[in-house]
Amino acid sequence: MELENKANTGNKPIGYVVGGGLEANLQVRLTVPAHQVQEGAFLVTDSGNWRFYGLVTDLQLGSTNARFADEQSEDRLPQPLANLLHGQTLFTNLAMMPALMMDRGPEPGSPGYMAWRELHPDSAAPIPVKTVPSHHAPVRLADAEDITELFGDENDPNNFRIGETREQGHPVCLDLEKFVKRSAGIFGTTGSGKSFLARMILAGLIQKNQASTLIFDMHNEYGPDSASSDDKKPVSGLKSKFGSKVRLVGLGRGTRFGDLNPDTTLEIAQTDLTPEDVLQLSQALNLKETSATTLDALYNSFHEAWFGEFMKMRAGAVVEDDEGKKVPAPDSVEAWAADAGVHPGAAAGLRSKLERINHRDYLVEAPASNGLRYIVEALKKGEHIVLSFGKFDNDLDYLMVTNLITRKIRDTWEEWTNAYHRDRKPGNEPRPLVVVVEEAHKLLNREMASQTIFSTIAREMRKYYVTLLIIDQRPSQIYDEVMSQLGTRVTGSLGDEDDINAVLSGLAGRQALRGMLAKLQPKEEVLLLGWGVLMPILVRSRRYDSRFWQEVLGENGKGKNVDDINRILGYQDDDTD
Amino acid sequence: MNLEGQKIAIGKLLRADNSHFVAGCRVRELETPALGSLCKVDLGENLEVYGLITNIIINDDGLVRQMVSGVSIPSEYTADNRYNRNLPVEIHVLTVGYQSEGAIHHYLPPRPPLSLDVLYLCDDAQLVDFTAHGRFGYFRHILRMMDSPVEELLVCHLGQARAAHEAAGDTAWYPAACKELITLLRDDYVKLASVLNALAELE
Repeated sequence: MELENKANTGNKPIGYVVGGGLEANLQVRLTVPAHQVQEGAFLVTDSGNWRFYGLVTDLQLGSTNARFADEQSEDRLPQPLANLLHGQTLFTNLAMMPALMMDRGPEPGSPGYMAWRELHPDSAAPIPVKTVPSHHAPVRLADAEDITELFGDENDPNNFRIGETREQGHPVCLDLEKFVKRSAGIFGTTGSGKSFLARMILAGLIQKNQASTLIFDMHNEYGPDSASSDDKKPVSGLKSKFGSKVRLVGLGRGTRFGDLNPDTTLEIAQTDLTPEDVLQLSQALNLKETSATTLDALYNSFHEAWFGEFMKMRAGAVVEDDEGKKVPAPDSVEAWAADAGVHPGAAAGLRSKLERINHRDYLVEAPASNGLRYIVEALKKGEHIVLSFGKFDNDLDYLMVTNLITRKIRDTWEEWTNAYHRDRKPGNEPRPLVVVVEEAHKLLNREMASQTIFSTIAREMRKYYVTLLIIDQRPSQIYDEVMSQLGTRVTGSLGDEDDINAVLSGLAGRQALRGMLAKLQPKEEVLLLGWGVLMPILVRSRRYDSRFWQEVLGENGKGKNVDDINRILGYQDDDTD
Repeated sequence: MNLEGQKIAIGKLLRADNSHFVAGCRVRELETPALGSLCKVDLGENLEVYGLITNIIINDDGLVRQMVSGVSIPSEYTADNRYNRNLPVEIHVLTVGYQSEGAIHHYLPPRPPLSLDVLYLCDDAQLVDFTAHGRFGYFRHILRMMDSPVEELLVCHLGQARAAHEAAGDTAWYPAACKELITLLRDDYVKLASVLNALAELE
């Protein structure tokens, strides 16, 4: 049979197409026992010149007559006869969600092949599915060649193996070059293994040298070594494996990474704080509409020193004039307001509200070192930053610090990109940067997203080589506008219906994927979705263990020193601290 | 394919149409034919019609009626009536195929046999050859029967054919036949259940 001859012979057929369509999924009659196929399995079927790729989204038991299913005929009939009866009257249909199709042309060597080749000189590429295979087209599990065709070769330097197919263990790769071109998300309930998954992907980005990463590490998980929350086994951090390529930055003095000292401390100079930064905190600080005018006036009066000067002013201070009349003291808020032409009450109110910021230990008049510049320069050089918030773990700190840093980054990368586009100077193309936001719903929920520039980054900054990687357990809490911008989504199991809907928003076939997402095995299985992958695929994720590191860093990766790692990674001239 | 073998004459044709024919025989000739047996009629010109015995009928006559109502009948009278009666035993045969120029076909013959053609019982080799041909196409003739106990006919026929095939070393024929029957009847639960219950007794 022609179809069988043309079929990839890696795997034998497990069934054949009996019905269905693009909307309702294809119905495939199984010819193997149902337990040999599971939801999420990656299927291939050849029909005519086309090869179709899809996923198992459902398995349903059926019978030619309900009574054959109802009655236990094995009790009445001899076993051989009962087996024959069951084989002919009871069956399993699987639903195959077709996702891609590829024109393979006639069989090489056949009469029509050369004509087809002339019309299609380039190698075939999969396209979104637009038609259906014919009745009785044989269906088989995807083999290694199919997986490589769609998800790339593990040996390609841009590809990072994220795991294997569940049924047959074929490697599934993520194209990291593509991954960093748009914002991405890693989701999963607590205990689903998303932190390990994030560590692995970050390790891949660092090892493959695809992008700089700035990690806002809310729980000190990524930089230093730690212990698993489940079995207390030691878990390697990025710092211990990548040495000086990963910089640990602590917010404020005294912030430590477990037993490790930070590479530097981030103290923010008051002069780095702009009125724009403060306005983005309007909601957190409960600012009034008049604040923008007051802040403008402050900046006009004192320029970069506006915050320090404003906070030095005394609110409500009065002195007696020559006539004994009480007037605002020269160093008072009211005196400045009168001079600057703003409403004294508005200025005093703003001054009072900014006291909350003024008391943060990390916001200082004259920092010992310029932490912000340190971070930006390290990222520009291709290094990676893990920022720990230490004891500063409330929303205001998260908002202010992440805003300040990301604004700085945005300005720098925009300028860098514009310069590159102007000059097209070889070697000056901006380094891709991935901003990693753990517990993203704290910064990107509906209320706060408008106060941060993360939604701007997700929406616009990919043109400037900056994208987000958000890690969260409640994707439904994340602002829709941010979610809609996510290119690649890697998700572990999710139980909540709203979270599942959020992760699947904007994707084709989400109805079929919904059930699959709810039944992913925690710590074992993840679903790859979205722009970064040609089609959704269920993956048994790699283990984050010593073997992973040996594979990532090579056989000698275990226990090697920083210089060795740098040499292996190609950073010969690294300025190791 | 050679269906020539031992020829056991079991009667002569009384009447026929394309799908069915009836042969008559004497009671003493009844020792060999059985319900479900494969038999054939040679029409000459390399044409043989095959059929399955679906029914064997012994009709009454006036003498039997009188004897039945008698009080006591000597055994020699009973034997004489059985073996020397004027009315023949009727053997009803369902046409299931034919052989032409040595090729077996599981569809109806171009013409029925003629009266007084001789009905022969097929031997095991002929039974194996006929039933192994094709993919059980002759089942459709059996399953089309309306006024006969199909289940019983199938059990008798499949039992004989199974024995012949297994004697020839083919153990796969019977499961394949059952599978085909199930496929053909799976939309008719009542009939299939009845057939399978009957077949279960063969085990």
